[in-house]
Amino acid sequence: MSQHLYRESQVRVHGNRVIGRREFFKRTALAGAAAGALSWTDCISAQAADLRKRGMSCILLWMQGAPSQFETFDPKPDHENGGETKAIATNVSGIRISENLPEIAKLADKLAIIRSMSTKEGNHQRASYMLHTSYVPTATVRHPSLGSVAAHELADAACELPAFVRIGQVQNGGNGGYLGTAYDAFDVGGGGGRFAGAMGSGGGMTPSNTAITTSADRYRRRLNLLDRLEGAVENPAIAQAAADHRKLYDKAARMIMSEQMKAFELRDEPQSVLDAYGSGAFASGCLLARRLIETGVTFVEVGLGTWDTHQDNFTACKALCGQLDRPYAALLRDLEQRGMLDRTLVVWMGEFGRTPRVNPRGGRDHYPRAFNVVLAGGGVKGGQVIGETTAGGEDVVDSPISEKDLFQSIYQTLKINTHKEFMSPIGRPMKVVEGGAPIPGLTV
Amino acid sequence: MPTVLTRFKSLPVRPWLKAVLALLPTAFFAGALAAETLNTATSTTAPKVAAASTFQARLDESLIAESQGSAIAGAVTTVKRVDDEAFVRRVYLDIVGQWPTAAELTAFVLDPSANKRSELVSRLLEDRRYGENWGRYWRDVVLYRRAEDRALLMQGTAAQYFSEVLNVNATWDTIAAELITASGDVSEQGSTVLFMAQMGDPNEVASEVSRIFCGVQISCAQCHDHPTDRWKREQFHQLAAFFPRTFVRPVVVDGQQRSYAVDSRDFGPRFMPAGADANNPRFRPIEHYMPDLKDPASQGTLMQPVFFVTGQKLPEEQTDMQRRETLAKWLASPENPWFAKALVNRLWAELVGEGFYEPVDDIGPDRRCSAPKTLELLATEFTKQGYDLKWLYRTILATEAYQRESRPQRNPEDPSFAANCAHRIRADQLYDALLNALGLPSDDAVATGMYQQNPRFALGSPRAQFSRVFGYDPSSKRDEVTGSIPQALLLMNAPNLAAGINGRSTATTLGKLLAEDRKDESVVVELYLRCLAREPNAKELAVCLEHVKQTENRVEAFEDLLWSIVNSTEFLHRQ
Repeated sequence: MSQHLYRESQVRVHGNRVIGRREFFKRTALAGAAAGALSWTDCISAQAADLRKRGMSCILLWMQGAPSQFETFDPKPDHENGGETKAIATNVSGIRISENLPEIAKLADKLAIIRSMSTKEGNHQRASYMLHTSYVPTATVRHPSLGSVAAHELADAACELPAFVRIGQVQNGGNGGYLGTAYDAFDVGGGGGRFAGAMGSGGGMTPSNTAITTSADRYRRRLNLLDRLEGAVENPAIAQAAADHRKLYDKAARMIMSEQMKAFELRDEPQSVLDAYGSGAFASGCLLARRLIETGVTFVEVGLGTWDTHQDNFTACKALCGQLDRPYAALLRDLEQRGMLDRTLVVWMGEFGRTPRVNPRGGRDHYPRAFNVVLAGGGVKGGQVIGETTAGGEDVVDSPISEKDLFQSIYQTLKINTHKEFMSPIGRPMKVVEGGAPIPGLTV
Repeated sequence: MPTVLTRFKSLPVRPWLKAVLALLPTAFFAGALAAETLNTATSTTAPKVAAASTFQARLDESLIAESQGSAIAGAVTTVKRVDDEAFVRRVYLDIVGQWPTAAELTAFVLDPSANKRSELVSRLLEDRRYGENWGRYWRDVVLYRRAEDRALLMQGTAAQYFSEVLNVNATWDTIAAELITASGDVSEQGSTVLFMAQMGDPNEVASEVSRIFCGVQISCAQCHDHPTDRWKREQFHQLAAFFPRTFVRPVVVDGQQRSYAVDSRDFGPRFMPAGADANNPRFRPIEHYMPDLKDPASQGTLMQPVFFVTGQKLPEEQTDMQRRETLAKWLASPENPWFAKALVNRLWAELVGEGFYEPVDDIGPDRRCSAPKTLELLATEFTKQGYDLKWLYRTILATEAYQRESRPQRNPEDPSFAANCAHRIRADQLYDALLNALGLPSDDAVATGMYQQNPRFALGSPRAQFSRVFGYDPSSKRDEVTGSIPQALLLMNAPNLAAGINGRSTATTLGKLLAEDRKDESVVVELYLRCLAREPNAKELAVCLEHVKQTENRVEAFEDLLWSIVNSTEFLHRQ
C-alpha cells in the first residue's frame, strides 16, 4: 500500500493526538447526554446547513441476479422476443418503458435510461464484481467496490455512521479491497445468524450488534473500566495497537450512542411517507437509504432479487417490478422534495441482462451483450434515453457503453477524480477505473 | 512483572495449582527456583548466541552479521529474550492457536529443565490442534483469493485436508504436489481447493501456483511485460499452459447440483468456437492460447508448458495429469530456489512477525530482501531436510530472533528483526479464545455433521459467521490488518457473547467462578489467567478491585470486568 493510502486507512496517525482516557469517557458520556437533549428533528435541522456543504452522495439499487431489460426499461412489444410484456407511455413523450413500472413511468423526466450497456461477462459472480468495481476479478488484487471508493473520496467526517451502508443481500458486491477494511460496506439486514445480533424494532432494519445489551449507564461504566484497564497495561509491544483500538472503540461507541442512529428507526416517519414507499423489505431499504443519506452517509446500496429468471420470466419479473416500482419512485420524489436529488445520484442496475429469445421454460438466460442501467439525480439530465438496441434487442445499434464507460460516468457525476492512482498491496499503481470515457451529454 | 511463582508465594493456593504441585516430586522445588534464577539471568543480560554448534545459532549469527553497520547489532542487546510466561503464551498461540491454560502456564514456568522451551515446541507440534490451527491458515491463504464465493462451499473440506496432512507431517513438496494434481469431488477432496477457488481458470490457477509456491506474482505479466520484473508475458502463459485441461464442473445428482468436481479433460475442442464466451468453461479449448492484445477476439498464440524459473519445457501432446505431475516435480526440485524460500519466508513472517520479504507472497529476484544470506541458509537447509515442516517450525522457534520480546511492527527506517512483532490473532484463534474465556461450548462438531449433510450449511456455522467479521487474508502485511467497526460491535454487543458473560448462569465461566467461595482478588486473578494467560499487574488489580467496590452489585461488577477483558487490545493480539 502506498504511504498515502497507508496513512489514510490506518488509524495510526502520528500528528494527531490520541485521545486521552478522560476525554474518551467524556465523549461517550456526552453522546448519551445529547440523546436526551436534542430531538430527532432538531438534529436534522441542525444538519441542514451541513448538508449543503457536503459533497455528492449515491444510492445504488442493486438488482441481484440480472434483471430482464425487456420487462423493465427496453420493452419490445412489437417483436416476438418481447414476449407478453407491453410498453406504456411515460411523462416524456417518445420514451416508453415496460407496463410493469407504472409509477416510474411518471418520473421518466428524471431518468437517464441507458439501453446500450454491453459487457463480456455473463457469469453472476464475476459480473457482479465487475459492475461493482469496473474490473474483472483476479486473484492478485481486490478492487474496491463503488461504495468503498465513494466512502474513501467523499465521506463526511462529521457523520457518526459508517460512510458506506449496504442493505439486504448483495452477493459478490465487493468491499474495501486495497483501500482497507475501513471502507468495507457496513451491512444491514443481511440475514440472521448467531452473531447477527438482535434485530431492532425499526422494521427489521437495525444493523447487527448496535443494540447495547445493558442499560446505557452500565454500558458507559464498562467503557470506562475498559479504558482504565487499557491504561494500566504497561506493554510496549501493543501500545500502538492499543491506541488504534481505543480510537476504533471510541468511534463504534460514539456511533451506537449517537443520535444519528435514529436514522434506522423507520417508524419515526409520518404515515404518509411510509405509505408512499409501500411495504416490503426493498421499500424499507429505499426509505432507510434516504434517511441515511440525509444523516450524512455517503453511499447506500439496497439489494433486490433475485432476477435470475431462467424460468417463468414474465410472472417473476412482474412480481419483482411490483416490489421495485413504488419504492423506487417514492425514493426519487422524496429526494427531490427534500432538495437532495441534485446531490444524490441514484443508480439502478444489475450484473447483466437477459436473452432476447425466451427459452422453452418461459425464461430468459444470461445476456451481457445488451442491457439497461438507469441513472437519476446527482446532476444527471433526465428524460433521455442513451443508446438503442435492434428491433429484437439482440445487439446495441450505436456505440455500446462498457462497464468502464459507466464507471467513468458515475465517478464524473460524483465528482471523483478517476485519474488518481492508488497502490495495490504489491505496489502496482491502480486507478479506480482504467480506461473508458464518460457518456457524453449525461449530466446537465 | 510478577511471575506465577512469586504470586504463588503471596496468594492463597489455587485448587488447580495444588493439583499440579501434587504431581511434582519434592526435589522439583529446588530445581524450579534455580530455573527461575537462570531465567531472570538470561532475560536481563544480552542474549549470547551459543557456539555455532546448532543450526539455529548459525542462523542468528548470520542475521546479526547481515546487519553489521546497521543499528541491529545494538538493537539486539536492547530487546531482551522473552521470559517464560510470555514465551509459553506466544508458542501456544503460534502452534496450537490457543492460549495456554493456567495449569499449562504454571507447569512450564516451574519446569526446571534447561531444554524446556524446545521440549514444549516439540510436544505442541504433536498436538492435533497444530494441524487444525495451521490447516485453517492454509485454507485462508487459498480461499481469500477465491474468484467466487461458491468456493467457500469447500472451506470445511479444505481445512480438514490441510489439518490432516500437517498433523502427519507430510513434507511441503508432497502437499504442493497433492494440491497441484488434485482431482475429484470438492466436497470430499479438500486438496482440490486451489482449482475450486479459481473455478479452474488456467490463468488464475497459474497465478496462484506461482504466488503460493514460489512467492512470485507472475500474474502481473498476464497482460504485459512488467517494467522491472524479469518474467515476460510469454512465460506467464507458458505456466498457464500446464492447466488448460483441468476443469471444474458441477456434480449433479438426481437433477440437483450437489457439488463441484475437478476433472481432467484430455479430449475436446482445441480451439475456441468463433463468438463463444471466452469465460464459459463449456467452450474452453484443451490447449492454452496467449491472447493477441491487438486483436483480442482472435484465437491467440498456442502455448507449450514451460516452467518459468528453470526453463524446463514439456514436449507437446501431454495429458492433463502429465502436465500437472511434471510441474509439481519441477516446482519442488532444488533447481527452483523460490519453492523453499517462499515457504520459509512465509512461516518466518508468521512466527517472527516480520518476513525477509514483504508482503510474503511478493518475493523473487527483483524484490528487496532484508537478510538474503540468512534466508538462503535456512531455505537451503530446509530443502536438505526434505521440506520437513516440523523441522522448520522447531528451527525457527529455537532462534533468538523468535524468542525476543515483542514490539510493534517497526517503522521502515528501523532495523529489521530487532524484536519479535506483535500482531492480531486470526479469526479462528479469537473464536476459540472467546469460547474458552466465556465457557461457551464449541459447535464445531455440530457444524461438521451439518457440513457432511450439505456443505452449504457450514457457511452458516457460528465459526464461519464469526470469521466473516474477523477474518483477514493471511498473506497481507500484518500492519495493514486493522480492526473494523463491525468487529468492535460484535465483541461489545453480540447477544450470544452477552449470554457468555452472564455471571448468574451456572453454565458460564464467570457464573461458576462466582458460585465458588472466593475473594474478589482471587476471582480477578482467575479471569486474567483464563482469558490472557497471565495474572493482573498491581495497577490492573487495583483498578479491578476498586471497580468491584464501587459497583453495588458484585455479579455485575465482574460481568463488566470480563466484558472489558474480552474487549481489550491484549485479547486480540499475539505477542
